[in-house]
Amino acid sequence: MAGFKDLNLDEDLAVGRSSRADTRFDTTVGHIEDIIMEERFQTLQHDFKEKYYHHFTDDEENKLIYTDIFKEYVGLVENYIQGELKNRISGFSMEDFSKTLENRHDQIGGDILDMLLSFTDFVAFKQMFLEYKSAKEGTGMDFSDLITIRSTTSLRDEHQGMQIDPDSPREGPSSNR
Amino acid sequence: MGLLTILKKMKQKEKEMRILMLGLDNAGKTTILKKFNGEDINAIEPTLGFNIKTLEHREFKLNIWDVGGQKSLRSYWRNYFESTDGLIWVVDSADRRRIGDCKKELKGLLLEERLSGATLLVFANKQDLPGALSAEEIRDALDLESIKTHHWTIQWCSAVTGEKLLDGIDWIISDIASRIFTMD
Repeated sequence: MAGFKDLNLDEDLAVGRSSRADTRFDTTVGHIEDIIMEERFQTLQHDFKEKYYHHFTDDEENKLIYTDIFKEYVGLVENYIQGELKNRISGFSMEDFSKTLENRHDQIGGDILDMLLSFTDFVAFKQMFLEYKSAKEGTGMDFSDLITIRSTTSLRDEHQGMQIDPDSPREGPSSNR
Repeated sequence: MGLLTILKKMKQKEKEMRILMLGLDNAGKTTILKKFNGEDINAIEPTLGFNIKTLEHREFKLNIWDVGGQKSLRSYWRNYFESTDGLIWVVDSADRRRIGDCKKELKGLLLEERLSGATLLVFANKQDLPGALSAEEIRDALDLESIKTHHWTIQWCSAVTGEKLLDGIDWIISDIASRIFTMD
């Protein structure tokens, strides 16, 4: 009889343990998602690009220094995410999370996984710098005309009844009076 | 090991291979890469940095890294060893003068721990040139038979004509695939 009871108890414990692990895993993934979407992280990336973009040129051949910059970038992103996880989850252990990940990485949303993986992709990394550089220096493809045209059109559509001068969309109705 | 490294390792299980292509300067590494990728091979300048190409071949995704081979660049090769599944060592078969250098550099690479799991393909390139050593002569000159630590083969080829490039690549893919993808 005692044996039967023990068995039951063991089963309950096992279930309890695994669902706790489930929750913990989901919570951690949720935090990772928050962390990389937050403005602080964007700022971190922005500062990093600002620091190094001048090394990058739009050539097929890569400079050796890109590799050093890339290593620094991966380390920076990784340390930031891990540091934030420790701040947000009491008793967070990267080691434990890694073990769970091995069995469950397919349970992380595709978008979030792609984004995390993109941080380790050299080609994506180089592209990110080239885009930053061309936006910064106004070289390469210039989308600003496109954006202006579209926003003016939509403004005109929205406010047609209000008689706003379409050439000065920034002025509100009150200043027209 | 960090979060990103772990995720990357998991992803790489999915039929992706990382191939590192090295050799002395002027061996023809970049020409091989471009020829294999169907690009124009005229006017290729000496590589001072590195090139990367991702090719799809036989349901595999190959990430091929070609790093410049000039003497001053060789100390940087180590930055590219990580996660290498296959090493392609390219030899200018017509460069008899530097075959000793070539042997020494290759021996050094084979001692690297981070390359210990890599399959080795030696391309005896430039077979279209008169006076080129044959693949057998290169094999002996590089003392390949003494290699017990790596799976290896030597393949003659000409990057300019494209002859036998595919044979070499097919061999290295098959060898890597048999080591890595049957373990699951």
